[in-house]
Amino acid sequence: MIDAMKDIAQTISNSHVKRWKDQGKKIIGYPCTFVPDEIIHAAGMLPFRLRGINTTTLSIGDTYFGPVICSFPKCILQLAGQGDYSFLDGVVIVNGCDSMRRLDECWRKAGEDYAGTVPGFFHYMGVPHKVADYSLAWYADELRAFMERLEEHFGVAVPASSLRKSIKLYNQGRRLLIDLDSLRSSPDSPLTGEDAAAIVLAGFAMPREDYTGTLKKIVKGLKKTTPVTNGRKRLMVVGSTSDDLDFIKLIESSGGVVVSDTMCFGSRSYHDLVDEEGDPIEALASRYLSHKFCPRMFGYYRERLEFIQERARMARVDGVILQNIRFCDLHGSENGIFERDLEAQGIPCMRMEREYGPLVETGRIKMRIDAFMERIS
Amino acid sequence: MKRETREYNYDWDIWTILENAAMVCDGTPKEYRSLLSLIPHFGTALDAFMKQGEPGVLFIKLLAKYIRRCLTAGGEGKKTVLTSFSMATPILYALDIVPICLEAFTIFGTVVLKRGTSEFLDYCCELGFTETSCSSQRGALGAFLSGLATRPDMIVCNSPGWCDSNANSYSFASAYLDIPFYQLNYPSEVSGKRSATYHRQDYRNLIAFLEGHSGNRLDLDMLRDIIDETIRQDELINDLCDLQMLVPNPVPNIYDLMIYGAKSCMNGRPELTEVLESMVRHAKANAANGASGNSTEYEKARGLFCYIDHYTTDARLWDWLDRNGISHLGSILCRYWQADASYAVGRGDEAYRVEKGSLDGMIDSLADMTARMPMVKQIRGPYDAPQMWLEDNLNLARLLKADFVVYFSTVGCRNTWGAVKLLVRDLEKKGFPSLLLFLDSFDDRVMSWEAVTDKMSEFIHVRGIVS
Repeated sequence: MIDAMKDIAQTISNSHVKRWKDQGKKIIGYPCTFVPDEIIHAAGMLPFRLRGINTTTLSIGDTYFGPVICSFPKCILQLAGQGDYSFLDGVVIVNGCDSMRRLDECWRKAGEDYAGTVPGFFHYMGVPHKVADYSLAWYADELRAFMERLEEHFGVAVPASSLRKSIKLYNQGRRLLIDLDSLRSSPDSPLTGEDAAAIVLAGFAMPREDYTGTLKKIVKGLKKTTPVTNGRKRLMVVGSTSDDLDFIKLIESSGGVVVSDTMCFGSRSYHDLVDEEGDPIEALASRYLSHKFCPRMFGYYRERLEFIQERARMARVDGVILQNIRFCDLHGSENGIFERDLEAQGIPCMRMEREYGPLVETGRIKMRIDAFMERIS
Repeated sequence: MKRETREYNYDWDIWTILENAAMVCDGTPKEYRSLLSLIPHFGTALDAFMKQGEPGVLFIKLLAKYIRRCLTAGGEGKKTVLTSFSMATPILYALDIVPICLEAFTIFGTVVLKRGTSEFLDYCCELGFTETSCSSQRGALGAFLSGLATRPDMIVCNSPGWCDSNANSYSFASAYLDIPFYQLNYPSEVSGKRSATYHRQDYRNLIAFLEGHSGNRLDLDMLRDIIDETIRQDELINDLCDLQMLVPNPVPNIYDLMIYGAKSCMNGRPELTEVLESMVRHAKANAANGASGNSTEYEKARGLFCYIDHYTTDARLWDWLDRNGISHLGSILCRYWQADASYAVGRGDEAYRVEKGSLDGMIDSLADMTARMPMVKQIRGPYDAPQMWLEDNLNLARLLKADFVVYFSTVGCRNTWGAVKLLVRDLEKKGFPSLLLFLDSFDDRVMSWEAVTDKMSEFIHVRGIVS
């Protein structure tokens, strides 16, 4: 089952996507954890998190974006321009960060040059950068507007009852992932970081019902599996978005095992639950905006530090890898303070800047990881 | 960081240079000329302002006074707040809090120090900043983070929503130095009731934060005086913009820097009014004579700077343009969107209007003003959305009869680098030759000033703007 998850995690248009399309159903792409999957799911569509894997050139991405922009949105644009995202019926873009927000314009303008690459439904949603009563109200309004546009464009209805069902289903998946986390961070971790990442990543690219069912079986099976840790150093990965299994594999090839993370393609995406009572939109707004684990939420450093400390404690980590994609100011600079504060508590850290996309700098990364492993051994 | 750099505090260093420069202004021409040879690293920059006559002298005096105020505030029992150029300062002055404008301090260092701010830029990277984080903050922030500048009591930024790199610098400083932090956050739309309500609620929370951390209460009379001053300043800046529409443009190039340099420090203070009044008087005199504001006889071309200017040593940009007979029509930094500005007429609540009938009205006006400060207004949403960057630039380019448009920036500006190729393409389609240069306005190590001038010369000649 984990191998099947790996297949899904390493391809854009996977077998579930093909089956879904064959059934005549719609798929909506979204780039960031600030878009509630539940709304798309409740509309009877497949929420599909946009990724930039398997790019071999940035000829399109670099044409529209400027030179000092994160390669993550550039890779997404590249795939979109090449037609790899032709299965999408819609896209919602958010201002997750300044590089990601400009995916909105760059994709639209690329669509003028590469016909058919902009889906019929293309929506921009503004997400506030702080948590206050008025920002929650703003974000809730944005979610309502998004839902209404979905309803209007696709001729569907999203009653509150459907939204509640979706919230329950997604919460169920999150609970299972939290269980998976407990297993992964236990002293006798039964799975590698690469496997764990594959399981989480697959959840962004397949129907939730299927995912939850498979996840249940995986978690159950893992409880009976032999440990993989075997004295290997226990690592935690923190920082910019990373959906590259090869990156985790490379880290683990140096003799460590990644037992925890705080990344947005990782634990950040399932760490907290949506309130299942009350108005579902308000509940979604509250969960998603109160999600301060991304440094785009300015002024919440202490909360993020505590989140890392808590997870590091839970997973008994021997070291923390603080990584950021080149040009990611938010994670890059915050990693500097994390390093200061975590080291002060006796938690060894290494900071690393890297490129998003196919792992082309394995030598450099491997050398740095090896050096770090030597330090903590 | 070199040992000698650690010998003197960055802000004191700049203050002593500017304080002495301000005193030189009162000397005789002979004394002034003799002094220039003794300050080779700052002489050209000083002269760029001094040769403007009274407005330049008043500007230098304003800066010296401002920096002195920043340095002595603590000793006088006043609180200081580290804030950005895009924060409208009247509310801070009304609460008797001294604003330390980080970007202004970066510009001061970039212009007047022999080595610019490179060591402070790099110091930030040693602490964790990516080497492409925005240099407009890093330049001076390195001094604050290394303890070579007066520690502020609070940090307030108003960039979340339109600039991650900027906001990140302030939140980093808050976390690193453990200083109370408040952010004004902006939704993607400027106008409409929904945005106005958001802006105003956020602004009221700011006032509560400032009152809480300063122990001061908003003084209605002081606020009213500052509002009156601000209204007058708006009128004067609008006058300068109107004058820039004339051909030839009677407004000297460097007034562009003087407007936003002075405003980011002293917005709402009478010292700014005095500088602006002098600038308007001089520009009007030029207009009455049909003269260009530049020293060359003819105005050969008119350039609009769609983002920021270039600040590396000696303030050479404005001088280079002047020598080449090119009028600088201003940058994004000197558009404040007061409702009577020529570019704002008929644009509804896209612009702000100041109401001073009640306390609530004044606070709302200041919230509206702050929400329309340079960059806060233009780059918070999609570049081609109504009221945003493209529309503003097209409007200004037409109004000011620009012959070309230039984009200068920093390598840290993710937000504009993410859309500027599209902007330039659209401006070209509309008939405005547009130059996009990969440089850093605060750091010559990215592209040397010589390379910048080569590229600009090539552009204006190849495109037939100047024959």
